[in-house]
This record gives sequence, structure tokens and C-alpha cells, in this order.
Amino acid sequence: MSLDQPTDWSASELMATVLAGQLRDGEVAIMGTGSAVPQASCRLAQLTHAPNFSYIAGGTCSVNPYQQPLVASSCDYRLLRAETAVPLTDVVLMEGRGDVFDIFFAGGIQIDAYGNCNLVAVGSWNHPHPRGPGSVGLPFLSRVGRILIYTMSHNRRTFVEKVDFRSGPGFLEGPASWREAGLMGGGPAMVVTPLCTMTFNPETLRMQIASLHPGVELQQVVEATGFEIEIEPPLPFTPSPSPEQLDILRAMDPNGLLR
Amino acid sequence: MVSISDAVSSIVEDGSFVVVGGMHLHNNPMALVREIIRQGRRTGKLLTSPCGAMNADLLLGAGLVDELITSYVGFEHLGLAPNFRRLAEQGSIRILECDEPYIAHGLYAGAGGLPFIPLPRGLEYSDIPKVNPESYTYTEDPFSGERVLVGAPLLPEVALLHAQLSDAQGNAVLLGAHFLDRLIALASKHVILQVERIVSTEEISSHPMGTTIPAFLVDAVVVATGGCHPTSSHAFYTYDEQHLRQYLEMARDERGTDEYLTRYVRQTTEALYQQSMADRIDSLRNEAVLEQRAL
Repeated sequence: MSLDQPTDWSASELMATVLAGQLRDGEVAIMGTGSAVPQASCRLAQLTHAPNFSYIAGGTCSVNPYQQPLVASSCDYRLLRAETAVPLTDVVLMEGRGDVFDIFFAGGIQIDAYGNCNLVAVGSWNHPHPRGPGSVGLPFLSRVGRILIYTMSHNRRTFVEKVDFRSGPGFLEGPASWREAGLMGGGPAMVVTPLCTMTFNPETLRMQIASLHPGVELQQVVEATGFEIEIEPPLPFTPSPSPEQLDILRAMDPNGLLR
Repeated sequence: MVSISDAVSSIVEDGSFVVVGGMHLHNNPMALVREIIRQGRRTGKLLTSPCGAMNADLLLGAGLVDELITSYVGFEHLGLAPNFRRLAEQGSIRILECDEPYIAHGLYAGAGGLPFIPLPRGLEYSDIPKVNPESYTYTEDPFSGERVLVGAPLLPEVALLHAQLSDAQGNAVLLGAHFLDRLIALASKHVILQVERIVSTEEISSHPMGTTIPAFLVDAVVVATGGCHPTSSHAFYTYDEQHLRQYLEMARDERGTDEYLTRYVRQTTEALYQQSMADRIDSLRNEAVLEQRAL
């Protein structure tokens, strides 16, 4: 939590409400490792504006888990308190088909100005420091409708001009390479951190600040970002979670994973 | 059914290509992994499925892995895998860097006798194929004439898998998520299965479609009640966060890793390990079990 002013909600709760706002009724989302924040956002969307939204929660491949309760591990048995579950092999097939999933929640130990993500290695791949855990399904970012990037670490180590290892493709090296690749997916749509939300400039395909979280100064974001970030003032503040949203989030999170 | 030490000594040859089942902090075949360490069997290649955790990190920490094929080794929200990280940063382990789609499709190719498998377009835009030419290459799609990324089949010699239930022959039922475990059994030459509980064939055959792995694919069944500890066994117990954190703390350096291995693996048998952990595992049951499912 990097907000200086006291609030009655946490950064994770704010991030979950911001992500929920990106999800539309009838869409289908997937996510991977360590995904409590996106899972909370999906369930929140279902219980508010998007009752026909569906999501597959990590490696259990449970479909529309009820989040009773929200859990930290993406393969927890309790995720099978769900509408149904599908085999992991089927999820890999549907990711490959490419027109089934509208949203992929992504993250990385590095995220660059064009929204490329790195879960593999900082420095050289042969002698990394640190070595990341690995990419799992992130290369499928190339085939999904929209990418929503989230991270709890908004600092210059995470937000870099260019990832050292591209394990999840964003807008590649920018407009020319993106056009040339002609990928099936729509590319990154939004980034949310404990400080702000960011979108991508449609011309340059570079990250730009879209809103500052309540209490955050623009200078904080500029200093915490390792590349020149585009700004179009005046910047709005990110809307605070509503009491109704907080009630829903806290009801699914008795263990306080988001607090 | 055989003893765990006989199963490992008779099936896992030194230098084998071994695959470990389970995913993240769940269904890791830890009893078999610990026994391999006790017997000091080297794995020539180790494959994770697609996400390894304690199952891979402990073998790596014991210095028993020559080459690692993986798309993830870590402990999710608990942290990075200390031995994997150290060996990778030192450059002292050969890594075949993969992604999940290749591991799934590569196992499918292995299971079906496919000489190679084409992969969906777009995956070539990650840097993974560049650093792993042994698993990935390109060919021409004979139908469209376009360049297509292809993967080599994955053909493990020995699969180490955990199931909640099986009969004595090895007709196995996974009560929770299957992850890639069924596909691993189909692709692997030999399967060693550790189970929480043996049930009768009559019980298994009352729900034949509920069987995840048929016995004819299984070379040995060993009873390992609590055998996934400190990871979870779906429907039986959740993961032991306190023990996992202790491991992550101890494994920060080689000496601590060695202490862990001495205390929890080398100086104990699997039966004694289970006995010493029985109370802990009991305390992990309530939270994990949704309902006791009758077969």
C-alpha cells in the first residue's frame, strides 16, 4: 500500500474494482499463478454488472468458482467450489484456438513500455539475476482478445523500457513490429498497479498514465517508472471502491488476502 | 503393491528422464521424490508439469538433476524456488526453457507417437523458442506454405504421480483437479503411483468413467498416506504453509538445504516421515476437504 492518505480500502481492493470495471457481460477470462486480485475482480464483476461473465481460475481450471473463500494459490482445491471444471488440456486447446478467451490477466518480474511481460530472467538468460519462476501460459498473450496487466510492484525494476526476456508478448517493439506480426490477439489494454492505472497510446502503443489512485502524486508514478511514461493532463483520479463493491469483496475474503 | 523403496529402486534407473506430477503447491508426489533422494538416483532429465514446486526444487537441491525441462518452478505467493533460482543464477544446471502449451502438446505428441507437433501461431513471439532449440524449431506448414513453430515429443521414462485413491492394481482416481497428470501417464514409459488410500476394484468399477489412470499404464502402486506433504493432496489436506516457509528459509543457501535434506529426507524413512508429520497433516484436513466424497 503506497497511498499516503488513510483510506478505508486497500490497494488490492482498489485494483480488484478497477479490473472488474474492464470486464464485460458475456466475456470469458483466464488467469494463472498467484491470481487472487484478478479472481476477486472476476467474481465482483459477476455479482455486479456482468452476471454472464465467465472465468477460468488457474490450474484447477475451475469455471466460475464461487470464491468461498478467495484463496492465494491458483491450484487450491477450494477453487473447485465452482460452477464446473474443465481439464487443463482443454484450456490449452482453447487458448490455442484463440477466439474463446476475451481476457488474459498477465504480470511479470519485468513489464515494459509496450506491455511485454517477463517471467523468466532479468539480465542474460544464461546468467540471470534474478532468475524468474518461468512463463507457464503467458506466450498465449499473442492470441487473446485483451490483456489486463496487474502488479503489486510499481518500481523501476519492474517497469523497464524493454524487458530482458520477452515471455509474454505485448505490443512487441512498437507499431511497426506489431503491424508486421499481425497477431490474432488485441494486445495489452490496461495496466493497474498500487499507484495508478495505465493504458496504451493508440498511435505509439506505449504505456500512458490513465488515472492516479486517490492520494498519489504524478511525480511518484514518474519516479517509480523506469521509462519515459506518456502523460496527458489533466489526469483523473481512479474512482474509489463503492461501499457495495467493498461489501462483496470482503464477504468473499474472510482471510484478508486483499487487505 | 510394493514398498516405496522397492518401487523406486526397481523402476528409476540412474540417469532416467523423470517427470513429476502435480501442479504448484498441490498433489506433488513428495513421498516418491524423497525416496529418490534417499537412494541417490540421478535424473538425467527432470520435467515439471507444467508448474513445479517442492517436487522439483528438492531434487534440484539434492544435486540430482542434470537437465531441467520446465515452464515454471516456484512457490506461487510464498516465493521463488530457492534451489532452482540458485542453480539457474550460477549457470550450474542445464535448463530447457519451455512454455505450458509446448509441455501439454509435447506430452500429447509423446503419448500419441507423433514425430513432432505444430504449435499455435503467436507463441514464436516469446523468446522461449530462441533459447531452447532442442525442444522448439520451425518447419514449413505443408498446407499453407507458412513457417510454423513445432515442438519435439516429450517421452519421459518414469512418471512420478500422486492419486488420492486407487485399487491395488493401480486403477487411479484423482478426486480433485487432474492438472496434466493423466496426460503424463499416457506419455510415460513407466508410472509409479503413490496413493492416499487403496480401495477395492469393486468400488472403482462402480464408476468406471471416474477413473483417471487405468492400471495397465501403472508399473507400481505405493501407499503413501500424507505423501504429498508439505504440498496438498486435493480433497485430503491442504498445503503446509508453515513447513513450506521453513523450507524456503532453510534452502536460501546450500548448507541450509543440506540440513533440510538431512533432517527430513536422508535421516528418516518415508514411514517415519509420515509418522512425524501425522498431527500436522491432520490439522490441515478440515480446511481443504469440501465434503467427503464417497466413490
